[in-house]
Amino acid sequence: MIFSKKKITTEYTVEQCTKCGTLTKRKFNHGDVLFATLLKCASCDGHTRIEKIFGETVEQ
Amino acid sequence: MNFTNFDLDQLFSMGDDSNPLLMIVWILPIILFVFYGQQIQLFVTSREIKKGLKKLDNFREESRTELINYVKNNLKVKNDPVKKIDKFLEYFTIMPVDMDPNGIVDKVHHTVRSREDYTRSHVKSLSPEMNDIELNKIQTLLEIASSLQMIYKIVNHMFLTAKKQNNYPLILPLQMLLPFIMEQAEAMIEAIPAFKSDQPVGDGIGPMVVGKMMLEHEKETIAFQTSLSKIDFEDRKLFLLKAEGPASTVGRPADGLEKIMSENKIDAIIMIDAALKMEGEDSASIAQGFGAAIGGIGTERFQIEAVATTNNVPIFSIVVKQSVKEAITLMTEDIADTAEIVRLQLNEMILENTKSGQSVVIIGVGNTSGVPQ
Ligand SMILES: [Zn+2]
Repeated sequence: MIFSKKKITTEYTVEQCTKCGTLTKRKFNHGDVLFATLLKCASCDGHTRIEKIFGETVEQ
Repeated sequence: MNFTNFDLDQLFSMGDDSNPLLMIVWILPIILFVFYGQQIQLFVTSREIKKGLKKLDNFREESRTELINYVKNNLKVKNDPVKKIDKFLEYFTIMPVDMDPNGIVDKVHHTVRSREDYTRSHVKSLSPEMNDIELNKIQTLLEIASSLQMIYKIVNHMFLTAKKQNNYPLILPLQMLLPFIMEQAEAMIEAIPAFKSDQPVGDGIGPMVVGKMMLEHEKETIAFQTSLSKIDFEDRKLFLLKAEGPASTVGRPADGLEKIMSENKIDAIIMIDAALKMEGEDSASIAQGFGAAIGGIGTERFQIEAVATTNNVPIFSIVVKQSVKEAITLMTEDIADTAEIVRLQLNEMILENTKSGQSVVIIGVGNTSGVPQ
């Protein structure tokens, strides 16, 4: 249709440090699974865990 | 040209009603609409439906291609899978006769289970070394493709029948239903990417809440593709139940519950699920209620209600409202954010409805794609 806009969904992953609670939002990488423990936290010696995986849809 | 002595009456011969030419101009459309009105409406409506039909045909083709490409690119298939997949897409299910409703649930249950088991074993035959996650994924993609195939066929059938018989009333229900059908079909086609890349969908909010509580606790498989953890919370014993993630499955929570209840004394059941929001309701709003919150064909709910009734255990529910599309496509941020709130409400609900020393079963209902435990 002429009036329908193209929708683009961007996938995000949010990591949270299990120790200090710092949240980091980044683009989703293939292989990311919810609750997976990942790398060392940037601000302390804790580990980050994936808390959320979601999509944001914008109309263009 | 002189516009001032413009005579309207003269131009349209309004003062003179004996002009036969003018009478025809007036009467012809009336006759046309009286006798051919339906055909004209049929013509206008068919154009609209044809557009929808074209879209549905594209969806059907797209989902089939996606499935075939996925199988070809990601699995070690021995023979060409196209023929086999096309055969799967054509499978139909005949629901049991309901003239005598006695025992109908068991019959429906049996039919649906057999179909599931049958498709699973046949999908597996495509590539015998396929793991369970891949198997579930292909089953989900197959389900999407065959549903779209079925939708297209039914809509096309209704449309062609109405056209063939030049029957306007026959096309009316189709015209009314088409927007709903299109919404469903569009949701299904947009669901493919999330399932293909093992991402959580909106329906996975229940498993997400329960899965997080199960982390770092011992897990056992209590029923087919269904996982159980027993944890302690504020002097109460919690039985956490969810489908086994991160594969795309809804598990068999009713079977799991039955088994738990046969071995333990349970004082309450709490179910967390996604629910369809009504038009005008906010997406990702949370509601609490009474009764079993679980979708599907109804057999699981029947089984849960039956076991709760026999044991005289109340069922409470927490639902997260969302649209059809949100439920089966990649989870939105709003829905993901409710996980924490639902968790808090769940804790409150446990404390309010049980005494210390009692046991509660908590079921995270929904598709557990991309949601481990
Ligand atoms: Zn930290």
